Amino acid sequence: MYAWLWHRLPGRTPARVGVLALIIFAVTAALWFYVFPWASLHLPIDSSGFNG
Amino acid sequence: MLLTVGAIGLLFIGYLVWGTALRAASAQRALTNELNQQWQRAPARGAAIDVSSEQFDVATGQPFAFIQIPAFGRQWRFTLIQGTALAQLNVSPGHVPGTQWPGQLGNFAVAGHRVTAGNPFWSLPSMKDGDLVYIETRLNDYTYRVIGKKWVAPTDLGVLEPVPDHPRQRPAKRLITLITCDPAWTGTHRVIVTGVLVSARPR
Repeated sequence: MYAWLWHRLPGRTPARVGVLALIIFAVTAALWFYVFPWASLHLPIDSSGFNG
Repeated sequence: MLLTVGAIGLLFIGYLVWGTALRAASAQRALTNELNQQWQRAPARGAAIDVSSEQFDVATGQPFAFIQIPAFGRQWRFTLIQGTALAQLNVSPGHVPGTQWPGQLGNFAVAGHRVTAGNPFWSLPSMKDGDLVYIETRLNDYTYRVIGKKWVAPTDLGVLEPVPDHPRQRPAKRLITLITCDPAWTGTHRVIVTGVLVSARPR
C-alpha cells in the first residue's frame, strides 16, 4: 500500500516528501477535529451518566 | 496497513487523554465567563435558602453553578451545566435532569467523567465521609458533607430518587449525589457519593 501510494505521488523525492507530509497533516487534522470528537460521542468510553 | 491502523489507534488514545482535556478546558473557560457575566447582569440579592427557595430555569448545556471539592485539590473547580448526555459530560460535569437543584429538599445529582474531558471526577472513588462539597449559585453558597459511598449498576436509577432507593418516601433531607464510572474507561458500574447539606448562606 505504501509503495503504491509513493509511486503515485507527483514530482521527485523532495516534492513527494512534501506532498506526503501535507497529506499526513491533513488526515491527522481531519481525524483530530472531526472524526475523533464524533467517535468519542458514540463509543462506550466512560459513559458516566445514567442517560448518556 | 496494520501500521496505519496502529498509528490511528495511538492518535485516538492521545486525543482521548489530551485532546478532550484541551477541549474541556477551553469550554470551561467559556462557561465560567458566561456564568460570571450572567451573574453580573443579575446581581445576587442575598436570599438565603430558608428565606426564599432559589429558582433555576436552565436549558440543556447551559451553566448554572460552580462546584468545588477541596479533597480533589485546591485548584479543583468546575462550572456545572444542565444535562448529562455525553455531549454535556464531554465539556463539564452536569446536573442530572429531573433531580433536584442545589439546596432543594431531595436529591441534587451531578455526574461527571472519570477519565477524558480533563478527568473531573477521577478522584471520586477516594472520597471519604466528612469531605466537603461546595456549590456556588447566583444567590447562595451551599456546603454539603459526604455521608456515604457505594457502587451500583448503571441501571440502578434508585440512587437518583429524592430519597435514594426509596421512591415512595417524601424527602426530609437536602442531598447531593455525585456520580462517575468505575472502573475507569468503562461503563460497567457507577460510583455514587452522597452528601447532605450542612449550610446555605447568601453569596
